[in-house]
Amino acid sequence: MNDMTASHKALGAEIAVRSAPYFPRKKKVITGRSIAVIVFLSICALFFCVPLYVVIVTSFKTMDQIREGAMFALPNVWTLEAWDHAWNSACSGTRCEGLKVGFWNSVAILIPSLILSIGLSIVTGYALALWNVKWAGPFLFILFICAFVPFQIIMFPLISMTASLKVYGSIWGVAIIHAILAMPVLTLIFRNYYKDIPQEIMSAAVMDSGSFWKIFFEIILPMSGNILIVVLILQITSVWNDYLIGVTFGGMGGQPMTVNLANLITISTGTVRYNDNMAAALLTAIPPLVIYFFVGKLFVQGITAGAIKG
Amino acid sequence: MTFRWSRWSPQLALVPAGLVTLVAFIGAILWTIYLSLTRSRRLPEYEIDWSEWGRQYERLFKDDAWMISLQNLIVLGLGSALAIVFGFILAAMIDREKRGESLFRTVFLYPLAISLIVTGAAWRWMFNPELGVEHFIHSIGLTWVNASWLARPETAMYGVILASVWQSAGFYMALMLAGLKSINSEIWSAARLDGVGLFKLYTEIIIPMMKFTFVTCAILLSLGVIKAYDVIVAMTNGGPGQSTYVPAYFTIQALSAKGNLGFASAAAVLMLVITAAVFLPLVLLTAWQQRRSGATR
Repeated sequence: MNDMTASHKALGAEIAVRSAPYFPRKKKVITGRSIAVIVFLSICALFFCVPLYVVIVTSFKTMDQIREGAMFALPNVWTLEAWDHAWNSACSGTRCEGLKVGFWNSVAILIPSLILSIGLSIVTGYALALWNVKWAGPFLFILFICAFVPFQIIMFPLISMTASLKVYGSIWGVAIIHAILAMPVLTLIFRNYYKDIPQEIMSAAVMDSGSFWKIFFEIILPMSGNILIVVLILQITSVWNDYLIGVTFGGMGGQPMTVNLANLITISTGTVRYNDNMAAALLTAIPPLVIYFFVGKLFVQGITAGAIKG
Repeated sequence: MTFRWSRWSPQLALVPAGLVTLVAFIGAILWTIYLSLTRSRRLPEYEIDWSEWGRQYERLFKDDAWMISLQNLIVLGLGSALAIVFGFILAAMIDREKRGESLFRTVFLYPLAISLIVTGAAWRWMFNPELGVEHFIHSIGLTWVNASWLARPETAMYGVILASVWQSAGFYMALMLAGLKSINSEIWSAARLDGVGLFKLYTEIIIPMMKFTFVTCAILLSLGVIKAYDVIVAMTNGGPGQSTYVPAYFTIQALSAKGNLGFASAAAVLMLVITAAVFLPLVLLTAWQQRRSGATR
């Protein structure tokens, strides 16, 4: 097999060289096959865009038009009424103060959870990757396993613990649980990034009377820009999009935006205002979508690093 | 003295993470396993009657909703596997036809950036029985089509599968694309010279070469399916009836709605067992891969 590909390689290269002068610009030709491929991909792209399109047009319609049933039609009159409603007065449970409550809760959860999770895991990853610590191997293995544990098996004990620490049912409870659950994955990501730092740099730094923290703040942190941004985006999107931890630990006062949205769309009493629901869904989706459209490449890097950990 | 400190600080720096692992993960798992052996109802009880320690597990397997959950887990797993197939097809096409690569990638991946609650909300609305896609299809004359899948117990799971595939196909496409890019580009010209057909090229050369990517995708997919909770809440809330229960949903329902701690713990332990069954191959695979890359180095 290897021999075959090697000979094919050589042959391919030879043919390429020989044929080069005869077909100087054959790239421009569009074959039937590539048209078929582009058509197929475009149809798929359409399938991916349809729900977004429907959600957007519905959010700008009036309920009267929605009741006519033409789901794919553009709004007769474009109105921001539903957006205003969703933001200011939509009901989540018994409170009818709109999604803005959840939005600010989500922001308030995001900030401490980012600081806690990244602070904890960057130091752990650094110590595990670059210092000679006891049981580093077994510890990494346990972290690797912890990263895949289903949330349900630690749910009740965590509820008891946060309740006894008096943070259950608040923004702090949600933020701390996010930090704990993200720790294994983030530590592995940081550790994998730092382990490629050449040993010589570390030996030189240690010789230069560098202590653990001095090396961390003066050498390691300044060269962690890339990985920090990737991890930051991964954490922002996953904390923002989380529902399960928010609904379990948020209680009444610390519910993030996704919980408000879920309460709104699963409501079964009264008339359902679909335009409000879709505006609420868009409001929840906008922050991560903005991140995605601006720094999509880093987002994908974070997601794949989070999923397979190198 | 400072020298001593520098020897100890790396160890000390690991203490917080070590404590978190010990308490919030290992301790919590053992706690839940212990609770699953007790008769705890709303509040934890710590007495184990050893003559019937498996009581909660027996109850679980007599529970219709749990059996439906297990069945749905398999259905969801097989259905969501379409995301891998779909992802591969998209990746292969994008890889061959470089035009518009970044545009298509952006479009196929955006669902991944949004919350599953949002995805569920959107698809719930699409499947609306009175005003949704079905209404549209009927209005163009195809009145025999039924597209309000979520309203019927027999088809509700397919609705969930469609939304999950929509959400995750882009992710598998990105993984597959990375796999395809790592394949030596001369394979293509070599195959063309040999006159190997495109279909044969993919099924007999490319896919076998990418078996690691496929296995990784399959494991990630299985782990995702076991965790599936948000999408169920947003689309069906387990209904109609209990037709879309999955283990993750069942467990939380048993704890929060029924307030049955021992029972919920037993279900959670079984979720852990299922995860381990999927996870073990991953550990073996990474170990094997590491050994292989170690050998070539």
